[in-house]
Amino acid sequence: MLGKSIFRDDAHGKVTGSALYPGDIEKDHFLHAKLLFTGQPHARMIRMDTAAAEAVPGVVCILKAEDVPVNEHGLVMLDQPVMVGLNSKKPFSDVSRWEGDRAAMIVAETEEAAARARDLIEIEWEQLPVVTSPVEAMRDETIIHGEEPSNVYKHYRIRKGEMAAGWAAADVIVEETYQVPMQEHAYLQPEAGVSYIDEEGRVTVEVAGQWTHEDQTLIAHALDIPKEQVRVIYPAIGGAFGGREDMSVQIVLALASQRLREMGINRPVRIQWTREESVIGHHKRHAVTIHTRWGAAKTGELTAIEVEMILDAGSYNCTSNKVLGNAHLTVAGPYRIPNAHIDSYAVYTNNCPGGAFRGFGAPQGCFVAESQMNKLAIALGIDPVELRLKNVLREGEASITDTPLPAGISIKTVIEQCADKFEEPFSGAQVLPRSFQSLPADPKALRRGRGFACALKNIGFSFGFPERSEAYVELRGRGEIDRVVVRHAGADVGQGAHTAFKQMVAEAVGVPYEKVEGVFSDTAYTGDSGSASASRLTWMTGNAIRGAVEKALTLWKQEERPAVGFFRYQPPPTEMLDDKTGKSNPNITYGYVAEAVDVTVDIETGHITIDRVVCANDVGRAVNPNLIEGQIEGAVVQAFGYAVTENLQSKNGHILNPRFSTYLIPGIRDVPQKVESLIIEEPDPQGPWGVRGMAEMPFIPLAPAITAALYDATGVWFNELPLTPGNVRMRLKNTLVPDLT
Amino acid sequence: MQITITVNGTTHTRDVEPRTLLVDFLRDHLGLTGTNIGCDTSQCGACTIHMDSQSVKSCTVLAVQADGADLTTIEGLANGSLHPMQQAFWDNHGLQCGYCTPGMIMSATKLVEGNPGISEAEIRHGLEGNICRCTGYQNIVKAVQQAAGEMGGD
Ligand code: FES
Ligand code: FES
Repeated sequence: MLGKSIFRDDAHGKVTGSALYPGDIEKDHFLHAKLLFTGQPHARMIRMDTAAAEAVPGVVCILKAEDVPVNEHGLVMLDQPVMVGLNSKKPFSDVSRWEGDRAAMIVAETEEAAARARDLIEIEWEQLPVVTSPVEAMRDETIIHGEEPSNVYKHYRIRKGEMAAGWAAADVIVEETYQVPMQEHAYLQPEAGVSYIDEEGRVTVEVAGQWTHEDQTLIAHALDIPKEQVRVIYPAIGGAFGGREDMSVQIVLALASQRLREMGINRPVRIQWTREESVIGHHKRHAVTIHTRWGAAKTGELTAIEVEMILDAGSYNCTSNKVLGNAHLTVAGPYRIPNAHIDSYAVYTNNCPGGAFRGFGAPQGCFVAESQMNKLAIALGIDPVELRLKNVLREGEASITDTPLPAGISIKTVIEQCADKFEEPFSGAQVLPRSFQSLPADPKALRRGRGFACALKNIGFSFGFPERSEAYVELRGRGEIDRVVVRHAGADVGQGAHTAFKQMVAEAVGVPYEKVEGVFSDTAYTGDSGSASASRLTWMTGNAIRGAVEKALTLWKQEERPAVGFFRYQPPPTEMLDDKTGKSNPNITYGYVAEAVDVTVDIETGHITIDRVVCANDVGRAVNPNLIEGQIEGAVVQAFGYAVTENLQSKNGHILNPRFSTYLIPGIRDVPQKVESLIIEEPDPQGPWGVRGMAEMPFIPLAPAITAALYDATGVWFNELPLTPGNVRMRLKNTLVPDLT
Repeated sequence: MQITITVNGTTHTRDVEPRTLLVDFLRDHLGLTGTNIGCDTSQCGACTIHMDSQSVKSCTVLAVQADGADLTTIEGLANGSLHPMQQAFWDNHGLQCGYCTPGMIMSATKLVEGNPGISEAEIRHGLEGNICRCTGYQNIVKAVQQAAGEMGGD
């Protein structure tokens, strides 16, 4: 069953329109809700008057900060109020730190009535200084979270080797500053959800998320009720990419249902965000500024690196401290670096919060590491592929945290295979194998170039997080197993997870795929699966499924009918970085990837076209090759958006372009014409059947591969993203490309 | 205002407010939620349907403008068995989250009409108004090409 491109189960509903996304769910006697955002990047609420709003015909109730039993949430730190407002028991809840903070939830008979009431809520604010620059925030002249001593709330270090010796051994030093921007997830389905009290009296929320049990935990915490009284169900999910990890409508919907119950009203509530609300109201990929120096000997060996990284966490932590940790480690790339000095800071500002987004800190870290390697290659006169091969970590060698990476390091393989594959069509030409030399320039304004980059990314949650995944497998039948039912919470955000789960169950039990049924993503029937993120879901679930199947088969042999096996998989524990040196075993395991691109740039317009992409991604064992190719193709296009087209603009804490008309996600004509996926299968010793996590990896190296190709084409390095035509044109002009008029 | 619209072969007469968008009419009045809404600015194409044998973004049309029109939505495309375009999206993994899929399929079916040998460039040109955030479009192009051949120019 593994290795087969089974057609996904959910496709029938999706091609016929019968699939139900959260906004499609129909219930009798719906009430409708609207959320009021504060629109205030930094201000203290002085007065809020809802009298006029409450008088709007059809308004049922208006929920405010004072109505939230425990007015706090957050995936890692509870630093975010459910609602900003007066008379909350939680200190500092009267301060809005983000334009997307919520001030009120209006429940009414119709959407129109709720919207009208929302417009009539009057709030008086005392303006506070809006801090949008992390560097300015680091001076602590304005403290954004009153309970914190400083806006700099997380600082990681690496202190490895002897820096003086490292610099002394360097023949070449490359010193640069990089700036990478925010990115919006732009999943096509804007946030929506319904809530009601189910037949067992549970506050029930149907919503698109990434981790049912975490939603359940955070709802229960805010409502101050036991978890068992909260139920979370995921219907079809219209994309996620990390953007649905944090709480959007989950808690406020549950709060509304709880309030309606208290009022004796037994009616479901629904909410639907617009695109604009979605962009304003959820976190983004982090903007990061990095200053760095890398040294290498003339033979190519890296001798030392020094990094200072400042991550704009925005107004709330979300997962910023974890993202920072990943960026902090990936900034060293998959390389052997004897001497390193790295300082990374997460800083609160009044910008939109940064949080999880495919790659989770690795795209930022990797952009730096790979840009530095490409520059060193030029400075040293060594082929960029060869330079990498000289420096990549091998089994047992000390990584940046001074401990070896977990066994199964395949970075060398992915680099070699990517380079070899890329060269295929050129083998007749005078180009040397694996060489990444310039392509001949086209006449007129078109220049062509070629670039290479690679990356590593952890699989699963890091830094001591208690990782786990629970699965139930039920074997039915008498003499023979007729049917197998798997119960698992893991979210199918569009990647096809549920199809892959069933394939793994069929493989483990030894029955055809058709005999497997799934009950998914409902806390009433499933155990905690952990999140659909960190490239962890197939990996963790596979291990949980194997355990559950083994137990079920044992019971089956003991004549139990049905035979139900439950298993809670827990991978080996990880560690937080040592405060002073960073020494640790921070991660469970890793995935490896390399990408090569051919790019054409029009130096007069600054317009970039990607002619070809080869992505070599080690997936350990391909459960479903077509689904994997889909992840690679999709990730590359999202990374193209990150690198080239997407330009989220923010001023004084307000996002200026929260619409698809001005925030340009790649369309079918913008994208790389051809993404060639090279699926590599070097087993992960800890993965189920050797599986490795893979869905974030193809995103990560694309941006630095593109900037390398741009350098190849123009002789100009680009240290800032995005590479919009305007930005490219401006930089080319400023750096005086000889024949640019 | 009272309007009469035929959707997927059934004629409906309803009272609507003049400002009601056609997409909201389909979803909220008729319960046809296969037509999705992905944006507020007519960019994404998730809401694409057929109106009097043209594909239109139903968020850019008022319900009253569709008075007397003959509409097909994604729910009306299959005729006993799946339409070749639906089957091709399934077979070629032309979808992930699936939110763009109804709109893609409705745009694509019109696009390939009369053009069984449609080229990749023509497909990309014709689907410019439909955004997909998940797939990278490659499998969508494959699906459309396969279906075009099977539809044989119908
Ligand atoms: S909903 Fe986006 S174009 Fe109609
Ligand atoms: S499949 Fe998700 S938007 Fe196209």
